Amino acid sequence: MSIANRRRRELRAAILLIAPFVIVFAVFFLYPTYKVVALSFTNAPLIGEGDWVGLANYTKLLSDKLFFTSLWNNLYFVLLTVIPTTVIALLIALTVSKLRGRMQALALTLFFLPYVLPVSVVTMIWSWMLDFQFGVLQPLIMAVTGKAVPVFKNPHWVMPMIAVVTIWWTNGFNVLLLIAGLRNISPDLYEAAALDGATPWQRFWRITWPLLWPVTALVLTLQLILQLKLFDQVYLLSNGGPFNQSYVVLMQMYREAFQLNHGGYASAIAMVLFLVIVIVSVLQFQLLRMGGRK
Amino acid sequence: MKHKIGKLAAATALATVLAGPTWAQVDVEWWDFLGGGDGVRMKALIEQFNDEHPDIQISATTLEWGLPFYTKVRTAVAVGQGPDIMTYHLSRLPLALEEGVLSPITAEDLETAGLSTSDFFEATITAASTDDGALMAIPFDIHAVVTYYNRTALEGTEWIDADGNLTNLSSVEDMTGLLTWAKDNGFSDPLSFQSEGGGGTWRMFYTLLRQQGGEMLTDGEVLAGDNMDKAVKSIQVLADWRAAGLIPEQASYEASVGLFSGKRSVLHINGVWEVPTFKDSAEADTLGYEWFANEVPQLLDSPATWADSHAFAIPNDDDMSQETRDAVLTIIGWMEKHSLAWAGAGHIPAYKPTVDSSEYATLQPNATYASLANNAAFDPRSKIAGVGSPIYDAVDNLIAPAVHGFLSPEEAAGQMKDQLQSLLD
Amino acid sequence: MTAKHARNIAFSGIVLIAGAIWIFPLYWALTTSLRSENRIIANTGILLDELNFSAYAAVLSNSKLPMWYLNSVGTSLIITAIVLVIGMMCAYALSQLSFPGRRALYLLVVASFMVPVPALYVAQFILMSDMNLVNTWWGIILPQLIVPVVVIVYKQFFDAIPKEMREAVLLDGGGEFVLLFKLYLPLNWGITAALAIITFISAWNNFFWPFLVVTSEDMMTIPVGITQVNDNFGVAYARMMALALLAAAPVIIGYLLFQKRVTEAVMISAGVKG
Repeated sequence: MSIANRRRRELRAAILLIAPFVIVFAVFFLYPTYKVVALSFTNAPLIGEGDWVGLANYTKLLSDKLFFTSLWNNLYFVLLTVIPTTVIALLIALTVSKLRGRMQALALTLFFLPYVLPVSVVTMIWSWMLDFQFGVLQPLIMAVTGKAVPVFKNPHWVMPMIAVVTIWWTNGFNVLLLIAGLRNISPDLYEAAALDGATPWQRFWRITWPLLWPVTALVLTLQLILQLKLFDQVYLLSNGGPFNQSYVVLMQMYREAFQLNHGGYASAIAMVLFLVIVIVSVLQFQLLRMGGRK
Repeated sequence: MKHKIGKLAAATALATVLAGPTWAQVDVEWWDFLGGGDGVRMKALIEQFNDEHPDIQISATTLEWGLPFYTKVRTAVAVGQGPDIMTYHLSRLPLALEEGVLSPITAEDLETAGLSTSDFFEATITAASTDDGALMAIPFDIHAVVTYYNRTALEGTEWIDADGNLTNLSSVEDMTGLLTWAKDNGFSDPLSFQSEGGGGTWRMFYTLLRQQGGEMLTDGEVLAGDNMDKAVKSIQVLADWRAAGLIPEQASYEASVGLFSGKRSVLHINGVWEVPTFKDSAEADTLGYEWFANEVPQLLDSPATWADSHAFAIPNDDDMSQETRDAVLTIIGWMEKHSLAWAGAGHIPAYKPTVDSSEYATLQPNATYASLANNAAFDPRSKIAGVGSPIYDAVDNLIAPAVHGFLSPEEAAGQMKDQLQSLLD
Repeated sequence: MTAKHARNIAFSGIVLIAGAIWIFPLYWALTTSLRSENRIIANTGILLDELNFSAYAAVLSNSKLPMWYLNSVGTSLIITAIVLVIGMMCAYALSQLSFPGRRALYLLVVASFMVPVPALYVAQFILMSDMNLVNTWWGIILPQLIVPVVVIVYKQFFDAIPKEMREAVLLDGGGEFVLLFKLYLPLNWGITAALAIITFISAWNNFFWPFLVVTSEDMMTIPVGITQVNDNFGVAYARMMALALLAAAPVIIGYLLFQKRVTEAVMISAGVKG
């Protein structure tokens, strides 16, 4: 077989192989991406044509109080979830990995199970547990604050509680990753350290933490991007309230597009979220790389 | 009129016979937002209709009440995926016109349904029409809030008269007196309603506003003149009760009903649509006390009770076949003529022949609170009002927080005026 | 030695208690669903002390749960199958063949990681509407077919297969498709199962997109159905919890049965080897 022949055959095979993915990718991903960018410069309704309005949607965003509230709430939620969930997952992973055999499997099952639940099941259960009048957790809240609190109706409690629910739901995923990371650390290192008379505390900071850092960094990055895309839990638990104290960017996009029929403006909002996620992930990537070098 | 119905019946019968062998069946997609007790009754009506009409099959979907329902309607109609028939709140009709989701009901349509506008209470026809008088929906009922009360607990007190109805409640102070008494007698949340915001809070606020003769909207101006003070006073009354622990904090809809049936509240202000819930649990003997419902007492200057109407509407869809449209109209006509069953769900039918019937006259507690029809206060007719409208946003974001002490009543009413006004200008 | 043993048992005990607390919400949902509505309001302790299945009966007879199961299973299976097949084929080409634009395509796939998919929903909704697919299975499925991680993970695993094996098949006269399905795929059944599980779980649990694109009750998937269609009026806490648990049952059972595989799948898909 000549080389040219073979090359031609390879090219044909390659085209056939990538075609289905490329077509799907182009039609349902690249085209919508282009479309969102294009729509954000028009005053189009959700369904139907609009006129080019230049940067009008973006200038309107700058004076939209709800938009800044939403953006702030997104960032606040990131603060409330990303680091806490990583710390909790790390604690759980460290203890669970000390268990052996069946015990470990059982413990892992208990901590991972919530992750496989559909979000609406999670929110239904937690709204019931935190129900102001009949919730089983209200006595606990009462013990701490002295009175029952309607958590999803209280401006101070709403975001932290959505964060708690979210952590409960998604934490199992992080635990798994960290356990995998822990398993990859050679036991020899710990034995050597033990022989040197290192305390458990020293062992953690000198062996576990640095060797686990790549996985920890991965967890942080995945969480950050995931939590910025918050919508489901807010929509289902608090619907953005009370007085917009839990409104987030995707809620506003949904509202503008589907409730108020402003396709163009909703696209501009989506663009901002898009940019925020790109910037934040690039920044975090750089930061984490620096952290890893230490 | 009779003649026409006869003709129609004959034609329908003929069509049924002709269609019989081939079983040509029209499928009608139906959407409603009716859950709980009145949902059960509506499902029974639909089933009965399907049984009686082999040529028409209704397939019904019940979606979440309020904004989620209307968001779905709007989106689905825009992409041509709407239902063939849906229930609609007449309070939201101005918004529906703005959104262009409804198909007008013509005179021929009414004829097909075997109905005429004169069969209905005039107020409902007005509410269902555009300003030019074009009919956009066919009214089904009038529903209002009423006061449910635990008769067993109140028995023998000054607030129950010889017939077992509420009495001696003619001022806010009287009401506070009753509620304080109940609080002292083991009712942790004496008067329950959906206090978290949403429909429940709006209905309370609006009832109190209108009992002072106040108006949300006058000549395109929100809370003009002393309406502002009246709105503040309405919020103040609720906030005072909340501060004294006389109404529940942040009760969700379900919780507000639960508080009353769980004997933690002695009074419960809610829509007539909960009548079947209490009726059913009293029959099943799970309530544990005797309940009844009265018109909301007049606590301020004049009697007034928040009210709205359910109606049937046909979504805008150019592709709808005449056959389907006729089937939809047949359904509407049939429903109106069977609205006595709907009255069993607490509602006052909009179809006068039902209300004039002798069966209706003996229906309880409807007959007792029938008086409220004269004092019904409908939502202002505006695109900012109605179920799931900007007013509802303001209720959630301003009135409910003010009731719970996060804002002063003055701030809440002021901000509400600004926000809503900006949507009108 | 015995002291250490005792310490170990105590430690295990503490971890398991913590685990039990962690899972308490599910226990509480179960307990609630098995009580009668009136007792729930009466607030009677946290022990499972009643086995009343009427809430389950009510939910099963009054909701379209079976239909939602069907929609969820159907759409999730189709999504999983298509995502795996097209992802595997593309990854194979990226890994083993040279063609113009190869690097660009790979970078595009990697970069698409950064795009928050929900930001595209408005445009995707318009697209589905133009294609007349709103409120259909394909409307639910098509936008969920973009799972770049499948391509990337497959490519990494294909890269690791020794070239000699490939040459041997090529000498025998096998084409690229034979290679992919007779050599590369069988060598990677493990990773295929893992990717299938991950794709299936995320499709099954997707709420936002089906919530937007589905308009009728008959087309709803489980996560959407249980929130959009409910009794808004009256007390129905037992029924709500019964509904939630019935909705969660397939994934819970599936997870308990295939626990090891699911765990592996999560680790592999994140690029961490267990």
